[in-house]
Amino acid sequence: MKIPPPCPMPTAPRPPCAHHHRSLAAGCRLAARALRQSNGFLLSLLLATGLCAEEIPSFRRDVMPVFFRAGCNAGACHGSARGKDGFMLSLFGYDAKGDYYRLTQELVGRRLNLSAPEQSLLLLKATGKVPHTGGELFSKETSYYQTLLQWIAAGAPDDATSLPAPTGITMSPDHILFSGAHETQKTTVTARYADGSQRDVTALALFATNNPTTAKVDKEGLVAAVGRGDTTVFARFNRFTIGAEVIVLPPATNYTWPNPPAHNFIDRLVYERLQLLRLLPSELADDETFLRRLYLDLTGAPPSPAEYRAFMSDQAANKRAVLVDQLLQSDGFTDLWTNLWGEMLRVKGGSYAPTGTDVKAADVYYEWIREQIATNRPLNEFVAELITATGSNLTNGPANFFTMLVHDTKITPKNLAADFSQLFTGVRIQCAECHNHPFDRWTQDDYYGWVSFFTGIQRKLGAEPREFYVFNDLSVAPAKHLVDERPMPATVLGGATAVPKDQDPRQALATWLTSPQNELFSRNLANRVWAHLCGRGLVEPVDDMRVSNPPTNAPLLAALAQHLADTHFDLRNLVRTICTSRIYQLSAQPNATNATDTRQFSRAQLRRLRADVLLDTVVKVTDGERAFSAFPKGTRAIQHYPRSPGDTARPMTGDSFFDIFGRAARHSVDASDTKTEPTLSQTLHLIAGDTVQQQMRRGQVIAQQLKAGVPPEAIIEDLYIRTLSRKPRPSESTAMRGLIGQDTRDEHVYQDIFWSLLNSTEFIFNH
Amino acid sequence: MTPRRPSQLNRLSAFLILLAPTFTSAAEITYAEHIKPIFREHCLKCHGEDQAKADLNLETFATALKGGSGGAVLIAGRASQSLLFNAITAADENERMPQKKSPLPAAQIEIIRQWIQSGLRESPASSSLVVARDTRFKPAPIPTADGPPPMPGPLPAFTPAPERRPLAVIAMAASPRAPLLAVAGHEQVRLIHASTQALIGCLAFPEGQPNVIRFSRDGGVLMVAGGKPVHSGSVILFDVRTGRRLTRIGDETDAILAADLSPDQELVALGGSGKTVKVYGTTDGRIRYKITKHTDWVTAIAFSPDGTKLASADRAGGLYLWDPSAGGILLALAEHKAAVRALAWRSDGRMLASAGEDGLLIWWDAHDGWPAINHPNAHPPLRPSGYFGKLANGVLALAFGPEGELLSAGRDQHVRLWNVAGQAVKSFATSPRIPLQAAITHDGAGLLAGDEAGSIRQWTRAD
Repeated sequence: MKIPPPCPMPTAPRPPCAHHHRSLAAGCRLAARALRQSNGFLLSLLLATGLCAEEIPSFRRDVMPVFFRAGCNAGACHGSARGKDGFMLSLFGYDAKGDYYRLTQELVGRRLNLSAPEQSLLLLKATGKVPHTGGELFSKETSYYQTLLQWIAAGAPDDATSLPAPTGITMSPDHILFSGAHETQKTTVTARYADGSQRDVTALALFATNNPTTAKVDKEGLVAAVGRGDTTVFARFNRFTIGAEVIVLPPATNYTWPNPPAHNFIDRLVYERLQLLRLLPSELADDETFLRRLYLDLTGAPPSPAEYRAFMSDQAANKRAVLVDQLLQSDGFTDLWTNLWGEMLRVKGGSYAPTGTDVKAADVYYEWIREQIATNRPLNEFVAELITATGSNLTNGPANFFTMLVHDTKITPKNLAADFSQLFTGVRIQCAECHNHPFDRWTQDDYYGWVSFFTGIQRKLGAEPREFYVFNDLSVAPAKHLVDERPMPATVLGGATAVPKDQDPRQALATWLTSPQNELFSRNLANRVWAHLCGRGLVEPVDDMRVSNPPTNAPLLAALAQHLADTHFDLRNLVRTICTSRIYQLSAQPNATNATDTRQFSRAQLRRLRADVLLDTVVKVTDGERAFSAFPKGTRAIQHYPRSPGDTARPMTGDSFFDIFGRAARHSVDASDTKTEPTLSQTLHLIAGDTVQQQMRRGQVIAQQLKAGVPPEAIIEDLYIRTLSRKPRPSESTAMRGLIGQDTRDEHVYQDIFWSLLNSTEFIFNH
Repeated sequence: MTPRRPSQLNRLSAFLILLAPTFTSAAEITYAEHIKPIFREHCLKCHGEDQAKADLNLETFATALKGGSGGAVLIAGRASQSLLFNAITAADENERMPQKKSPLPAAQIEIIRQWIQSGLRESPASSSLVVARDTRFKPAPIPTADGPPPMPGPLPAFTPAPERRPLAVIAMAASPRAPLLAVAGHEQVRLIHASTQALIGCLAFPEGQPNVIRFSRDGGVLMVAGGKPVHSGSVILFDVRTGRRLTRIGDETDAILAADLSPDQELVALGGSGKTVKVYGTTDGRIRYKITKHTDWVTAIAFSPDGTKLASADRAGGLYLWDPSAGGILLALAEHKAAVRALAWRSDGRMLASAGEDGLLIWWDAHDGWPAINHPNAHPPLRPSGYFGKLANGVLALAFGPEGELLSAGRDQHVRLWNVAGQAVKSFATSPRIPLQAAITHDGAGLLAGDEAGSIRQWTRAD
């Protein structure tokens, strides 16, 4: 083996083209190695004079974090699934091996220049020295540039397999209390590694705030107060996200805590929070307001005039608690919660449903759910039975769980896995399908291990066309990891080890999910119940629980979840606990401090009635009757579930009123499918549509009272109590009486009054 | 040398036997005996005598061959281009046949594939519809030599750009007439004696990185194309004997990734990230025409030895033959599914070889664009233990030798020599490095590969 002489030979004015960096190479020159292959002859053109800098940056530990921090591997840039301008990086760096390949080997000589590191396209692009869609990301003076340059200069080496992986991050401080706007606080982010080492990664982390009108955070982790309130700033590094709570206090002038009584732990935990934020709770709601709120929340309809009078005339001190207990035992409560679960579980039936979602199957499913609610079955047992059910969809109600959770012509394990997780844990695990969850702790390993619980779920035709048997085929292979196609055996979220092969994975899933120790489950259920009763979840949206979407009152959510677990997942107990708290019974009327509070439950929130509850309410107050296609006479809206003459694999509410008022079409698992935002078409429908006037005609409320000779003042009062659950104020009474005038037998004026009440905001809202 | 690998053909037939134990060879698969039962089971309800949706009737051999309203659905010898095969193997379930049903079992798909590949035979008595291709090499006359084989004399001196370490061998060429090798370096080209491996000298290329190096057919001119990424690109023609620059062509905004000099030295074709092939005249440096059909970066360009065809390929797998006089399209060669990395013409002009990141190595019959030889996995990927996923098994470089033999270099860290029948006859390991370039010396004796670390390895045909 000969080393070729340098060149140009005869007339070279300077050192040869095989140029050596003597200055850089000082101290540690790698011996040139002549590699001789067994069957080949190595001809080395040049001998590398390696540079051993103090420390060669590591690709995973140092270089990839620069891509993360500079945004190179973000979704809008090279992290997009197909890359950008021909160059792809894995989103937020989930695939280090692939990123290394694409940088160093996909197009050798294009992206990195190991001969002249400064001329590497990677560096020229990042510093904006050549046209770059992403512009200039950092300058040559930054540590980011130096890291990349040194890595390239060292030959762009790959990491040893022994490189310790990061295991988590911490943010310091983890709570920030600002006593006024314009204060600032520097935060630092520290990463922990598998070998026990720690490292300050503030300069490599990304920062964000959940509410920039309360506090903002800059790229260096400096948090600045903006306006009063509470929010979370969070930092991301590698696959980890961590938050720090920020509270910006209003001026302390004249804030004195009125020391209201606390009925139970809910009140105490909310009060703590309110005091911290210098908020004052609103007053206790009066009996009329409480009565209407409770009836609507627990039975899905307002009290009848008789129920109103019974409660208002009750002089007992504990009459509110008594009423809660009474309504918890009502059929309305069972119907309403059957309806809420039916919506979550997407009960729908079709007359031509070739995939096992026939009306008959849906009926069986509905009746089974109702039975569980009626008998107050512990929610964890209820869910566990759903998950593990097998057999005929026509005889075993819960067997419909897997065919109705996702209405589709075929059972797709990924869809089941995603919807299951979102429903029962509030975790949107599907974000981890293509990359590690960017704003939570879930990894692709978690995702594919989770999907494997559902790969064996199958259905086969039974004895008749409507009948399907649901079963779990244990022989089906587990899901494969996206990056390296490893089989990923079924593993619970956050679990370290897979379910043993000899166990039924669904049984293991049910045991893990519904265990009192599983906070994912108890927090999710507690939060959903709270959201139904208080108008807003402690985590909102209720089905998006993640590190970067923390609860507005974490101790309260923890306590509610604990309470639920401690009481054996007793739904009625939790509802009773919430409804008997003073917080639930507060007025919606704001005070000087809490007018803008929508997160801390210092006052009741105004809530537009759900579509089905609104329809039942209209029917109840008018003594009317509303028929639903394909349902027997007398069916309430909250007892109705969508039935279709065709199949069920599409969005459908089953009634045009529901369409207008935003009842969930039961096509996706998203909680936001139930819409309660007021719209113009809703207003127009109540004004001129067929619902209000038709029901008024049906019920003949006014005609009957006129016939019975009820005096006009009493009719007015009855109409107010019916629609608004309160007596008219004296001014209202006088005005209405004035409208009626002398002809007190004229039905039309009463109808106009009734119609106006039915169209009032006060009627459409729960308050 | 490493233990000789079984030839690709042997392995392929072993594969077939495993998949379809009832058949001893693909040639025995016939419509009557094997295919019609499959059609009957899955297809004839919609594509039979009764319905014939899209006018496609698979119930008889003749109507199946005729195809449907969209034309033929079966092309003998080319499953990949047969609509029927693509329909039953479509990844998108909305496009896949049979509609709204599970795909055909893999074993049946394989039988259909073999039936198409082996020539759509109707019955055991009928013959294959695939016409046997003559891949034999017919030596072309050596270009009229003006004097002795060109070797460099004294070269112009220059101050080389500093090199931290050798540039990866991103371009390399062997002179077709002389024991001379030209190899890419950072802002320069090294000229090396192919027999002694001695460095003869260097040519300055301050334009940037040389991404393509080609000798003219007479060995007297060296074409170097390249530039600075996303900054500038051009092509320089050097006089091999004196090292003088003859001309500079192109003024691009990105480094040139693909280029070639026409055999008569009248034209230079170049391309790159602009997705356009530009053809320039060498005498006046003016652009003659542009080809804008490519949908992705142009990755390889090659004139045929007689100058009657121009081949160009892109990063999306597009491959076309053009008329070099005006740029009109001659043929679209559809087979590659990923970036084409290399194109090479056999010196008799009858075969064009292409290879790419999809692992395909294809000898195209230049006359009609038929893939006469198609190796789907010419450089099977290395599979370290514990690694399950898809691995790139790209073929990165090709070079024909004087007797029609082909040298290929791939990401599997091997260089392979193929005979004119498309059989692998030699295999050389370059591990742990990937060979980026391949070359065969003018006398056919030396086999060369340049790797990512800047090293060149040489073997002889006797190794």
